[in-house]
Amino acid sequence: MPWSDPARRFEPAEDVQLRAELRDLLGLGPVMTSSVSEPTAELNALADDLRREAQHRSRTERKRPTWGLMAAAALPLLATLAGLGTWGFQQKNRADDLAAQAHRQEQELTRLAATHASEVARERQAKEQVQQQLQLASRKGNRKAEPYLVIPVEKPLRVMGDDYQRVKQKPQ
Amino acid sequence: MSQSPMETPFGTQEAFHAAFAELYPRLVSYSRRYGATFPEDIAQEAFVILMQREVQVEHPTAFLYGTVRTLSLTERRPMKNQNLSLEAVAEPGLAGGADDQVLNQEVRERMRLLSPTFREALWLFVVEGLSIREIADILGIPEATVKTRIHRAKAQLKDQLNPSGGLHALV
Repeated sequence: MPWSDPARRFEPAEDVQLRAELRDLLGLGPVMTSSVSEPTAELNALADDLRREAQHRSRTERKRPTWGLMAAAALPLLATLAGLGTWGFQQKNRADDLAAQAHRQEQELTRLAATHASEVARERQAKEQVQQQLQLASRKGNRKAEPYLVIPVEKPLRVMGDDYQRVKQKPQ
Repeated sequence: MSQSPMETPFGTQEAFHAAFAELYPRLVSYSRRYGATFPEDIAQEAFVILMQREVQVEHPTAFLYGTVRTLSLTERRPMKNQNLSLEAVAEPGLAGGADDQVLNQEVRERMRLLSPTFREALWLFVVEGLSIREIADILGIPEATVKTRIHRAKAQLKDQLNPSGGLHALV
């Protein structure tokens, strides 16, 4: 049975009939299966040569890259990424340490400021107490705490003679 | 499904020799019709590519025709006309020497009047004797499209034979 025989390829009957109609329309006539090419020694040798060539190519041809090769190709990239990740992690730890140190220093400064403020308040309070004691002591000694009231007066721009006389004469 | 080193895409060694003897002249002729400069080389390369595949193909004949078509078109890609040529048209199934027997002028003229798209499907179906499934694989189109093209080619052939639209039957 020839290789191209439709029956060998389980072709539907309607397709076979359609082919026959078309051959008839073209004026080709029915297919003569007896005129099929027979294998010759020359053709068989050529076929075997081609088969050997295919086997040779299959052995020698470079295969498609496998997962291992792709992983090896990606290794430098992975190493770079890992290095960057490690460096970033170290930088993060360093930044965290610096932030904690700054926080501690800020807390220390706050504590010092509070201590200083309390000392200042204490000194102020002590000073007020001393002043009150001085005032009390001066009252007991019939001394005025404030001997006279000073009111600032603007000087006149021009001193008048009458005024001068009046001022000079007034104590008399 | 992978094939063992001793097997061929066509089965046994004898089956491979028989298939090669039948298909090789056809493929050379098919490649020549696409204007290939070295059709024998293209047909042989198609066989090597087929046997080189690790996974066995479902339709070896269609694979070979498709490979020859692609290689032939690639070889003549700079040329604009990539249609199936009907110069020196031969029917491989009718003679031992595929290129020796040329179809008669009337058949060639009928085929030439068809649109190139229909002509290619018709050629593969009628002259090369391939199935609809194989033609679909070769051309890379659905089977339904192949059937449509063949039926339209048939209609065009009928129109060529009966240009008056059937009036002659009434006379």
